Amino acid sequence: MLKSKTFVRKTRSGGVMKIVREHYLRDDIWCGSEVCAECKQESTVLQRDACIESNLCSYPHYVIPDTNVVLHQIDVLEDPVIRNVIILQTVLQEVRHRSAPVYKRLKDMIHEKEKFFYAFTNEHHRETFIEREPGESANDRNDRAIRVAAKWYSQHLKTSESDADGLKVVLLTNDQGNKQKAEESGLLVYKCEEYIKSLIGNPELVDRLALSNDDKHDITSSKVLFPEHLPLSKIQAGIKSGAFVQGTFRASRDNYLEATVFVQGDGDESTEILIQGLQNLNRAVYQDVVAVQLLPQNQWVAPSSVVLQDEGAAKDDEEEKEEEDEEKALRISAAEAARKPTGKVVGIIKRNWRPFCGMLNISQIKESTRHLFTPADRRIPRIRIETRQASTLAGQRIMVAIDGWPKHSRYPNGHFVRSLGNAGEKDTEQEVLLLEHDVPHQDFSQAVLSFLPKMPWTITPEDMARREDLRNLTVCSVDPPGCTDIDDALHCRELDNGNLEVGVHIADVSHFIRPGNAMDREAASRGTTVYLCGKRIDMVPELLSSNLCSLRSNVERLAFSCIWEMNHKAEILKTRFTKSVINSKASLTYAEAQMRIDDTTKNDDITKSLRGLNKLAKILKRQRIEKGALTLSSLEVRFHIDSETHDPIDLQTKELMETNSMVEEFMLLANISVAQKIYDEFPDCAMLRKHPAPPPSNYDILLKAAKSKDVEIHTDTAKALADSLDVARVDGFPYFNTLLRILATRCMMQAVYFCSGMDSDFHHYGLASPIYTHFTSPIRRYADIIVHRLLAVAIAADSTYPDLMDKQKQSALANNLNYRHKMSQYAQRASVAFHTQLFFKSRGILNEEGFVLFVRKNAIIVLIPKFGLEGTVFFDAKDKAGPKLVFDEEGPTLNVEQHTFRIFDKVKVTISLDASNIQHQKIRMSLIDPVIPGVSVPAPEVEPQTKKPKLDR
Amino acid sequence: MATVQVSEAEKVYILHGIRDDLRVDGRGCEDYRHMEIETDVVSNTDGSAKVTLGHTAVLVGVKADIGKPRPMVPNEGYFEFFVDCSANATPEFEGRGGEELGTELSNTLYKVFNNKHSVDLKSLCISAGEHCWVLYVDVLLLQCDGNLYDAISVAIKAALFNTKIPRVHISADEEGGKEIELSDDPYDCMRLNVENVPCIVTLCKVGHRHVVDATLQEKACSVASLIISVTHKGTVTCTRKVGGGSLDPESIFEMTEAGKRVGKNLHAPLMKLLQQEESLGKTRQKVGFLG
Repeated sequence: MLKSKTFVRKTRSGGVMKIVREHYLRDDIWCGSEVCAECKQESTVLQRDACIESNLCSYPHYVIPDTNVVLHQIDVLEDPVIRNVIILQTVLQEVRHRSAPVYKRLKDMIHEKEKFFYAFTNEHHRETFIEREPGESANDRNDRAIRVAAKWYSQHLKTSESDADGLKVVLLTNDQGNKQKAEESGLLVYKCEEYIKSLIGNPELVDRLALSNDDKHDITSSKVLFPEHLPLSKIQAGIKSGAFVQGTFRASRDNYLEATVFVQGDGDESTEILIQGLQNLNRAVYQDVVAVQLLPQNQWVAPSSVVLQDEGAAKDDEEEKEEEDEEKALRISAAEAARKPTGKVVGIIKRNWRPFCGMLNISQIKESTRHLFTPADRRIPRIRIETRQASTLAGQRIMVAIDGWPKHSRYPNGHFVRSLGNAGEKDTEQEVLLLEHDVPHQDFSQAVLSFLPKMPWTITPEDMARREDLRNLTVCSVDPPGCTDIDDALHCRELDNGNLEVGVHIADVSHFIRPGNAMDREAASRGTTVYLCGKRIDMVPELLSSNLCSLRSNVERLAFSCIWEMNHKAEILKTRFTKSVINSKASLTYAEAQMRIDDTTKNDDITKSLRGLNKLAKILKRQRIEKGALTLSSLEVRFHIDSETHDPIDLQTKELMETNSMVEEFMLLANISVAQKIYDEFPDCAMLRKHPAPPPSNYDILLKAAKSKDVEIHTDTAKALADSLDVARVDGFPYFNTLLRILATRCMMQAVYFCSGMDSDFHHYGLASPIYTHFTSPIRRYADIIVHRLLAVAIAADSTYPDLMDKQKQSALANNLNYRHKMSQYAQRASVAFHTQLFFKSRGILNEEGFVLFVRKNAIIVLIPKFGLEGTVFFDAKDKAGPKLVFDEEGPTLNVEQHTFRIFDKVKVTISLDASNIQHQKIRMSLIDPVIPGVSVPAPEVEPQTKKPKLDR
Repeated sequence: MATVQVSEAEKVYILHGIRDDLRVDGRGCEDYRHMEIETDVVSNTDGSAKVTLGHTAVLVGVKADIGKPRPMVPNEGYFEFFVDCSANATPEFEGRGGEELGTELSNTLYKVFNNKHSVDLKSLCISAGEHCWVLYVDVLLLQCDGNLYDAISVAIKAALFNTKIPRVHISADEEGGKEIELSDDPYDCMRLNVENVPCIVTLCKVGHRHVVDATLQEKACSVASLIISVTHKGTVTCTRKVGGGSLDPESIFEMTEAGKRVGKNLHAPLMKLLQQEESLGKTRQKVGFLG
C-alpha cells in the first residue's frame, strides 16, 4: 500500500519547496515477541518472561517509552535492569532528529542482545501508520502514533494464543496530555518517575532519573540569579547584524569567575573576548557555543591573575556575600593597556554537555538527598544532583550528566550516571583521565577486528613481486626500552662509488589498513596511540601494532622505505621511495646502540652501520641548528614501575643519548623528504604539519625573565633565538640555561596538521624547515597513514580513493587529528601527574631545592628539576589573614613581607601530598627557604630512606 | 499546430452538417464534447488538474514560490505561464516543433489570467515590495484533438481551485529585518478565490455558421476562429482572432454573443463539479493517468 508524505520546506535561497516522499506500508512487520504465534518472524527479541520487580506492574510486560522519556532518561534505560523495551520508529526518528549522541546510545542498546530492545517500525506497519490530521501539530501526531502503536501491541499480544502469560505493554510518558489520552483509550500508562520508583528491586535507579521540569521548582529558591537567555532567532539576527558574536566558551582553569570566548574570525583572524563575573558568564559551561555581546569600552577589564576556586557551600544564600567580595576582588582597576575586549553571554547557541567525571560533596544536612557534585575538570561548574546513595558514593569517582541550568539556580542540575570506582585507585583514576580527555579507549569492536589479516600471516609471492627485496640489508631498529610497536628501522652502507646509502624503513601500516573500512575509520577517529604510565591505548589493534607492523628483528616485515644516496658531508645526492620487504637484524635500545658505537672492539655490520648513521646524524644536526632549528627543553620524567603492584617506585628524568638524536635526525630527514615529494605530487591535498612562529607578545615573559638576570634574548627569528639561548649563561647558575629553554618552550605555538590546499603558510618554526610532515610512525599516528597513502599513490605503488584527494575532507580529518593529539598529550601529562602523586604518597615528606618559574599575584610557581615537578606556593590562605603582598607586573616580582621573589630565584620547599581533597589530590609545596616569618614553614624531618636513589647526575 | 488532411468531399459533408446544426459526431453547434476533470493529480505541485476534452488531454500544475513583486505593482503577486507541447501529443512537436505553439498559447494565457480581475493578485502579496507569491502555471499538452484553448483554460481554473499555498508568517525583529517562516502544519494553507477566473471559449467559423469545441476535422474546414474569455457572469474579458481568414463585424458580434452564452453555461457545472470533488476529501478514489 502506498501513501505519500508531504511537507513544505524553505530553501536556502528563500524559496519554498514542496517535498513529497512515497511511503510504503507493509503487512510483514512482526511484533518481535517470543509469545506471539501469529507473526511469521524468524527470530524474536522480546522475551516471553519479561518480568521486573515492580509494585506497579506485577505482571510480565513490555515497556514503550515515548520520545521525551528516551531523550531525558537515557541513562536509566541503559541500566542492565531495564529490558524488554519496544522502541518505536517514531521515537527513534525523533530522537535522531533531536540529539545525535542519544540516538547513538539508543542504537547501541538496540543492538545489544542482552538488553532485549526491539525497534518496531510502526511507521511502515499497515495498522499502526497514521496520517497527520488537520489542525494537529507534528508532536501531537507523533504522540498519537505512539499511542496507536501501543494500542496495537496490547491487542496483538492479547489475541495471541498463549494468552495465559498475561503479557501487557506499558507506555511511559511524562506528558500529562498524552498520558490522559492514553488512559482514555484504555492503555496502561505511567509517568517515567512513577515506573522507575516502583522498581522495588533496584532503588538505585531513581538516582539516575534526570530532573524533569516540574520538579525543579522545589529544588531552588525562586530568586532569579541570572539574566534570561535570548531565543535562538534573536541570537541569529543579532549575529547577522553584528550586535553579537558567536564563539566557543572557555572557562578559566584557575578562576571560576572568569572565562574567555574564542571567536573564529574571517580567515586566520580570531579574537578572544574576556567574560568576568557570574552574571556575565550567565550559565555558560566550558565548550558551549555561545553568543556574546561586547560591553562598552569603558567597562573593559583586564584578566586577573588571581587564582580563585569555587569553595562555596551547598547553600545558595551563604555564598552570595562571599561571592560579591570575590567579584569585587576581581575588579581591581587594571592598567589601561592590559584591558581586553570584555563582554557578556547573552545566549547559548549549542550546549556541549557530556557526562562529567568527578566526586560528590556530601551535603552537611543529614538525610538530605541533594548534594553538590564537583567535576574533576575545574573548568566545569559544580552540579547539583539528587541521590539517596550518597554515603555509598562518597569517596567514589562518579559520572554525572547535566540536565539543565534554570535561571534561578546557582548551580546546574544533573543526575548520577554511573560509578567508576573508588577514588585514588589506579584503575579508577586511569579511567577518569581517559574519559576526561575524551580518549576513545574501548576495546576494538568485532567489526574492526574482522579486517585484521588471518593468522598465520605470511608475505605472499604477489606482495614479494610488487616490492623491493631489501632483506639482505643490515637493517636495525633503535627504540626506547620495552617498546613493542617498532615503526622505524635504519640502515647505512657504503656504496661502490664511495658514497653512503642510508635507508629509513617504516612499517607499512597502510598495507593492512585499507581506506574506508571499519578499522580505518576507527583508527582515523582515535587519531593517535596514547601512552600513559604503564599503559598504552592503541590506535590500531594489537595484532598489527605489536606484531605484523612492528619491525621486530629476524622476521620478514613489509616496509615503506625512503633511501638516500649521500656523500660523506651528508649532502643528499639522490632520494627514492619504495615499498619493500625487510628483515631487521637487531632491535636495540638507545643504550645498547650507544654501547655498540662506543665499543671500539666491535666491528660487525650492525655496528658499522650504526657508526655511519651516527656520523651523518651529527653533521645533519649541525646543519639544522645552523639553519636556526631550536633546541628546546622540557623535563620529562620516567617512572620505574614495580612489576608486581604497578606502583611507581622511582622516577627519573629522561636521559638523552647520542643515539636518540641519531634516530631523530633521520626521522626528520625522512619526514622532510616525504613532505616535499607528496607536496610536489599533490599540491592541493598533501597532509602536512606546520609550526607557526609565535607572535612576538608570546615572548614577553621570556624576555622579562632573562632581563632580570641581565641576559639579552633576541626573538626576531628562530635563528636569533637559538643563538641567544646558546650563549645565555649566568656564572654560578648552571641550570639557568635549561630554565630559559623551558620558558622558551612555553612561548611556542602548537604544531598542527593541515591540508596543503587549505593553507599557504607551511613553515615549521621549531625545525626551521620550509615543509614538514609525519611519515615515520604510522603505527601510532593516523596522519602518517594518510601520508603513506599519498606517497604510495605518488610512486604508483597503490591506488587512490576519492576522500584522499578531497581537501575539505582532508582538512576535517586534520582537525580531528590535532584535537586527538592535544588531548592525548594532556592525558599523558595527567597520567604522569597522577603517578607523581602516587610516588610522593609512598615517599612521605621531602625537602627539595627548586627554582621560581613564574610569579603570580598571590603565588609563585616552583620547578623542582630533580623530579621535573612543578608546584604552586600560595601566599594567601582563605582562613587566615595573608601576608602583605605587592605584585609588580613589570618584573614580574612579588614582594612578600620583606622578601622579593623574582623569576629564577632559588628556593627550598617541602613537598608532600595533599590528600585533603581526594578529588584533586595535589602536591603541596611550602616554603622553607628563604625564611619569611608567618609564611615559610620550618623544615620538617625527612623520613629516612633506606636507599638514597641515585638520581642526581 | 496539429492538423489533419480533409478531402474536399469530406469538407462539404462537414459544412453541410454544420449548416443544419448537426455535426459529424452528433453534437449541435454550441455543444462541447465529453469532458473529464480530475484535480490533485500531481502530488508534488501545489495544485494540479487534468482535463480531457474529446481526445484532447492537458495537464496543468501550479507551483507557488516566493519571489519579488514587480516594481510597478509592489503589493501584488503574479503568474508565470509555460506551455509544454509534449511530443507525446503529436509527433510534430518533436524537438523544437512545439515551441511556437507553446509561446502563442502562453502569451494568450498571460492576457487572460494574469490580471487582478481574474484572481485577487493582492492576496498573493506577502510583504509589499519585498516578497510575494509567484504562481508558476505549467501546462502540459498530452494529446491534441482540437480546441486546446478551452481545455487549457478549464484545466487552469480547476488547478487554481485546487491550489493550496502554504501559509507564511512574517516575523520582524527589532532591526527591521524580516524573516519569513513557514507553517509546519501541511493543512495550514491559503486557497485562491477562483470565482472570477474566466474560461476560454473558442468559436470556429465554419461556412456561415460557427461552432464551439471544434474537432480537428472541423478546424480544417474553418478559415478563422475567435477566442473569447468569459467569466461566470458572462463578462467578456478578452477576445482574439486566430487563423488566416477574415471575419466580418457582424459575425464577430454573433460569435461573441454565442461565446458569452456558452461560457456562462460552462462555469456553473464546472464549479459544482470541483466543489463536489473537493468535498469528497481523502475518500475520493483517484483515477490518475492509468485509470
